Amino acid sequence: MAGLPRRIIKETQRLQADPVPGISAIPDEANARHFKVEVAGPVKSPYEGGTFHLELFLPEEYPMSAPKVRFMTRIYHPNIDKLGRICLDILKDKWSPALQIRTVLLSIQALLSAPNPDDPLDTNVAEAWKKDEESAIEEARQFTRQHAMGNKPQQ
Amino acid sequence: MSQTDMKRQLSDPASDATDSEDMEEDDEYANYYYDNTDDLDIDKPKKTDDPEYFEYTILQTEDAERLLNEEVERLCSELKMSPSLAKMLLHVGQWQGEDIIERYQQDQRKLLTESNVSCPKEMKEDSLVGSSPGCPVCAECYPRDKFMGLTCGHLFCPHCWDMHFRFQIEQGITMGIECMGQKCKILVPEDFLYSVLKDSKLRDRFSKLCFMDLIKGHPKLRFCPGPNCSVIIHAKEPRAKKVECSVCKSTFCFRCGIEYHAPTDCDVIKKWLTKCADDSETANYISAHTKDCPSCHVCIEKSAGCNHMQCSKCKFDFCWMCLGDWKSHGSEYYECSRYKENPNIANESVLVQAREALKKYLFYFERWENHAKSLQLEEQTLQKITSRINVKVMENEGTWIDWQYLQNAAALLKKCRYTLQYTYPYAYYMDKGGRKQLFEYQQAQLEAEVENLSWKVERAEITHRGDLENQMDIAEKRRQTLLKDFLEV
Ligand SMILES: [Zn+2]
Ligand SMILES: [Zn+2]
Ligand SMILES: [Zn+2]
Ligand SMILES: [Zn+2]
Ligand SMILES: [Zn+2]
Ligand SMILES: [Zn+2]
Repeated sequence: MAGLPRRIIKETQRLQADPVPGISAIPDEANARHFKVEVAGPVKSPYEGGTFHLELFLPEEYPMSAPKVRFMTRIYHPNIDKLGRICLDILKDKWSPALQIRTVLLSIQALLSAPNPDDPLDTNVAEAWKKDEESAIEEARQFTRQHAMGNKPQQ
Repeated sequence: MSQTDMKRQLSDPASDATDSEDMEEDDEYANYYYDNTDDLDIDKPKKTDDPEYFEYTILQTEDAERLLNEEVERLCSELKMSPSLAKMLLHVGQWQGEDIIERYQQDQRKLLTESNVSCPKEMKEDSLVGSSPGCPVCAECYPRDKFMGLTCGHLFCPHCWDMHFRFQIEQGITMGIECMGQKCKILVPEDFLYSVLKDSKLRDRFSKLCFMDLIKGHPKLRFCPGPNCSVIIHAKEPRAKKVECSVCKSTFCFRCGIEYHAPTDCDVIKKWLTKCADDSETANYISAHTKDCPSCHVCIEKSAGCNHMQCSKCKFDFCWMCLGDWKSHGSEYYECSRYKENPNIANESVLVQAREALKKYLFYFERWENHAKSLQLEEQTLQKITSRINVKVMENEGTWIDWQYLQNAAALLKKCRYTLQYTYPYAYYMDKGGRKQLFEYQQAQLEAEVENLSWKVERAEITHRGDLENQMDIAEKRRQTLLKDFLEV
């Protein structure tokens, strides 16, 4: 693989030397643009106690274009669909080359704390969330117990 | 002069005449006699009267560039700013030059901030890496004076700016390129971009894309949507009116660029067309070409546009749409185009409501679709008439000029039926009430006269010329009345 841009090297070093609390991001041994990410469900959210595995990939154009991020662990969330795709503005049109992997991961963590059913990706979940928030939160808890506890990273 | 003057009254019956193969050789004559046929409608509406009157010119790329440049230069000299900044302000401010000048003179900083071309002091946030001498994007170190940025103070190395511009241009973004800073919305003016971007191919591509962006953002300009047509329409006012491109002959609505759709407005026709596309499965079954005669039940195929049918076996006159007796059509009891809603629908079950909604949609869709088909069939009729006329002229039965009125009648029929077709989406989305009643009344009037005209055009050779011209006059008056009352001006 071609020489890794200095920017990616620096970001990776900092992620490891000074990790974001509740998040670990480790580059793949074979491909330094590919990260295995683990996000702990934020306290006081229905995802508390769960460990969520994500994959993060830095495309060739990075940082001119945003990293590609996907949940590998199933999650019940209005802004994350069955395939693990995430509806987050900074991953799309609000991306800026000055943003970093760190900012992206922090934003994902924040999204778990504060789901936004008004900008849904999974419309079914968003509907349920708007109609009866309490039941939806219970459903999310149930999903967390079922899929995000005692789970190993998926391949 | 590449500007073709298109100031034309759209109510001219001959203006819609279609070229058929048979007609081509007669075209010159048709154009020559075009002006002489004006006296056909004696009280043709004046400019101010005609609800479809629309002033526009056809521009070539260079003309449009010149026009944009003139507007940019005017702002430059008025506000003493660079062309690059003026262009940005005009694009962001939808080319409302007067308004921009006024707002600039009132509060320069406010306008520049609101237009995202400069950044107020309090919003300036420090670059990502802050005090360290590295570029916040590539993390490479450069001497301080190498860094470049906009008024927001976000500094990056030229290499990263270059990469950023390349990537944005590849995505088709030009006037909307923003600063690379986090959450920074400051727009990149073209002089800054050109000072960084040296690749001549990319500079070229940027300039082309930029031109397209500017045209698309200009309320009074629109690219002709015709296939392979590159002209630009310049309208005096940005209205939802009919444009006919003098180059490729396509007709379309100036405001939204799709097929002309009066009296329905741009948003409603879009909604309707989307609905039709979504529900095409459901609507398929009604596309029947044959129906049984309501009187003797013989199978009848519809081969002409007119919806006033006469059974060839029992001679019963009936309506193709509702299969009712034709005698009841055209009177004040004419109900064929009107959908009778269940007055008690609010109290019905969800299932009944859904069925009723589908019934209502199919009622309107069927009529919309049927008029579209009639338009096609009448097109064929016109071609048949034209070739028959040619035979007659060859046999010295009158001259081509003598038969011109028939061409005019067919063209007018097309125009009236087209409007009639587009009354159905309008009615479908209308709220119940007095205005809808008036609309449906006028729609029914137009419908009856369109079918009468169609009937007479199909039997043109045995219809008296005066009778046909009278019918043309009535149909066009009905059309004008409806548009005057319901076409938003
Ligand atoms: Zn840089
Ligand atoms: Zn900035
Ligand atoms: Zn054209
Ligand atoms: Zn339109
Ligand atoms: Zn019959
Ligand atoms: Zn009828």
